[in-house]
Amino acid sequence: MNPATHFRQMRKGLDLPQAIAEADRCLLCHDAPCSRGCPADTRPAEFIRKLRFRNITGAIRTIKENNILGGACGELCPTHRLCEKACSARFASRARPEGADRPIPIGQIQRFLVEHSWQIGFKPLRKSAVRSEHLAVVGSGPAGLSCAAELAKSGYPVTIFESRPEPGGVLRYGVVSYRFSLDFLRNELKDVEDLGVGFKCNHPVEGLAGAENLLKQGFQAVFLAPGLWAAEALVPKSQPISGVYSSVGYLSALRDGRLREMADRITGRTVAVIGGGSVAMDCVESAARLGARDVYLVYRRSYAQMPAEPDERVEAQSAGVHFLLLNQPVDYVAGRGRRLKGLKLVRTRLAAPDGSGRRRPQPVRGSEWILDCDVVIEAIGNRPAPDSPNWYPRVKLSGNNLIRVNPLTGRTSVRGIFAGGDIVRGPALVVQAVADGKTAARAIRQYWHG
Amino acid sequence: MATNIDLSVDFCGLLFKNPFLLSSSPVSNSAEMVERAFQAGWSGVVFKTLNSDRLPITHPSPRMHYVGYGSQRAMAYQNVEQISDRPLRHNLLEFLYLKKHYPDYPIVASIMGFFEDEWVYLAKACEDNGADMLELNFSCPHMCIEGSGHKVGQAFHLLERFTAAVKQAVSIPVMAKMTPNITDMTEPALYAKKGGADAISAINTVRGISEIGREDWVPRPNVFGVGAISGTSGPAVKPIGLNFIASMARCRELGLPLSGMGGIETWVDALEYLLVGATTLQVTSGIMHYGYRIVEDLIEGLSDYMALKGIGRVPELIGRALPHLQETEHFDLGRQGIVQYKLDQCIGCGQCHIVCSDAAGQAIEWDPRKRRPRLIEDKCLSCMLCQAVCPVPGLITYKEMPAGWRRRETAVKDKSLEPELKHESFKKEGPHECAA
Repeated sequence: MNPATHFRQMRKGLDLPQAIAEADRCLLCHDAPCSRGCPADTRPAEFIRKLRFRNITGAIRTIKENNILGGACGELCPTHRLCEKACSARFASRARPEGADRPIPIGQIQRFLVEHSWQIGFKPLRKSAVRSEHLAVVGSGPAGLSCAAELAKSGYPVTIFESRPEPGGVLRYGVVSYRFSLDFLRNELKDVEDLGVGFKCNHPVEGLAGAENLLKQGFQAVFLAPGLWAAEALVPKSQPISGVYSSVGYLSALRDGRLREMADRITGRTVAVIGGGSVAMDCVESAARLGARDVYLVYRRSYAQMPAEPDERVEAQSAGVHFLLLNQPVDYVAGRGRRLKGLKLVRTRLAAPDGSGRRRPQPVRGSEWILDCDVVIEAIGNRPAPDSPNWYPRVKLSGNNLIRVNPLTGRTSVRGIFAGGDIVRGPALVVQAVADGKTAARAIRQYWHG
Repeated sequence: MATNIDLSVDFCGLLFKNPFLLSSSPVSNSAEMVERAFQAGWSGVVFKTLNSDRLPITHPSPRMHYVGYGSQRAMAYQNVEQISDRPLRHNLLEFLYLKKHYPDYPIVASIMGFFEDEWVYLAKACEDNGADMLELNFSCPHMCIEGSGHKVGQAFHLLERFTAAVKQAVSIPVMAKMTPNITDMTEPALYAKKGGADAISAINTVRGISEIGREDWVPRPNVFGVGAISGTSGPAVKPIGLNFIASMARCRELGLPLSGMGGIETWVDALEYLLVGATTLQVTSGIMHYGYRIVEDLIEGLSDYMALKGIGRVPELIGRALPHLQETEHFDLGRQGIVQYKLDQCIGCGQCHIVCSDAAGQAIEWDPRKRRPRLIEDKCLSCMLCQAVCPVPGLITYKEMPAGWRRRETAVKDKSLEPELKHESFKKEGPHECAA
């Protein structure tokens, strides 16, 4: 297979017989625990029961009415610690020989049902009569899409302002293709468009009070969901070093037409990725898939302390990534023309627990060493664009320039302005952003109609 | 496998190495197939039904379908298969081959005629070419001509007449194969006996419809836009087969050896047919699904079971369930019980609560905090539905309650409506047979 195709191809989902076989294993619990585990209030017990009784269209409706990004969440959610965590079939499978500790693969069934709807052309969502109140949404990521779809379903006109050329936010510019393909995204976005949501791409609302001014330009409410698109930097660099990328920049490049260019920089080279979260795992695995000679994951804590999901860690290791644990980056080593030559590391040991409850990594004096590498990707966290406070100067912020809201409503300190997603929570799950969008949509409707 | 077990059975004077035969169907269509079946372990064959070449036989296309259950592929099969479409000469040549190479494997020739002379002609031809026994097909569900197939099976005088004609013409044993598309099978079986039948086999396929196309509304198999009520077979029909074999086995007046079939796949199914009175067992659907190889597990499973039970010969099993099979009026209704739960094994799915609430005595409350059922003993109907749905085997069992224990009466929703009630007790005398 052509490497680029391999890179763009998402893993295959379940097919209908497989989904039915899994639904047949479901115990159809009373007061089902799975349906209490979703941040976005998805009810797996309901859509799996519907599938079990061959009410497939009804199952699709259950998912899509609740979550316009049901397909994306089905594939991207860490379901093992959400809906699937309390699945009774896990316990039943211990008592039975068919595979210990095997929950119903709820996420995969959900993904299947949504893909099935596209395949058979079934559109479960209906718009109601057109209303007059107009919502502006800043940012077309999961939170923005969710809020937009929720209000569009009820007949409200919605316009999404997106600064980038294409919609989707993190689903387009922050995920690797083999985890979540552009075709899949296009299908899911089509479901939003079909509700009549207007997209204005290449349309930043930046500039002084750009977001707040929307209220004076004919919009009756604004939902801020611009996400986090600036990177934390490890070493403050006065002069940029060629070969050092932020995860935001690197992952965006893989999706915005610069895949070939990035592949040329990585194939046959040594790549080091700094960080221990899910984004770092995407960076190392993609670098390995792009043909890097060696990929190092540099993390200053231990394996068990990594925030990345267990299956992501295992996948990265299977892809041949070398885990360099208990090593803390100190500085870059640059050669001629400020071209990266290596990463200076110091070994750490775990000391007493820090504020997060995890044991704090402490540098080991005199243990500095240099890891020779051609490319470094820093995956140590995203933060709001530095000028973002200027777009909404009256909106109260918390530390780190995140927006402060009432978590029950998504209301900001300014009347008519709501916010959700990563700009409120910091880095979080897609499904949490979806939940924020729904919460805000409910509050916005109430704001309009009391 | 236990080696000291003798699985052989004597059936109408013929010795079968074990009770497992191919039944008359696509699985017994040619000597090439039957030979492989013998090599796999089947002890004999009821060869696919022969005809006299008078009428051309063409099979519909397609000819089979299945009934799925959940993700399970085939709990039943559906077929519009006809009797053998091969020339009689070819089929008889196959008999000669099998008798020459497998002399210890009885061949039962299944035949079907449309009038007496034709039955007799076929019977003689089979006997002359080595058939050890005849099975008269009075039960093919796809024959639409009066006086053939299941139509004969439902016209008892014809059944008797054809049986008698065949019996007079040949000296080998004759078995009549019965249709289950009837209320009481003992009646036609007795007619067959009057005609001289030496044994009865049952059941042929049950008339049914497997599935109807959701797009085209054509019952399956879809033979170019047309479906037909046709033969259903497989695991789903086992209870029907057991009913008919048991009923005939209990009929003293009949007293003929029985060849049982209908949904046999495992040795457990086979055992059940033996226990209700069958001596030989025939299989098609199980082979259609899994191939001849299943006979290995029938033989090994039954042998080991017998060894563990200390039973050396198959006849010791035949009919052993019959003394325990009674009409419902023989139940001892004075003895009552409830379910009991081993809650330490409970996984908290709550299905027992759902079925007890919606289909039983509302005797299982639900503790949402602990996610555990709580039984209200005196409301338990002991229906055992909770056991049927519980995913943990052995968690829910039956417990007999002491004599004198009383179940609470189902509560009346609103007794204040009593003044509006129009009701008088029924006072006339009637029959008492069914009264408890």
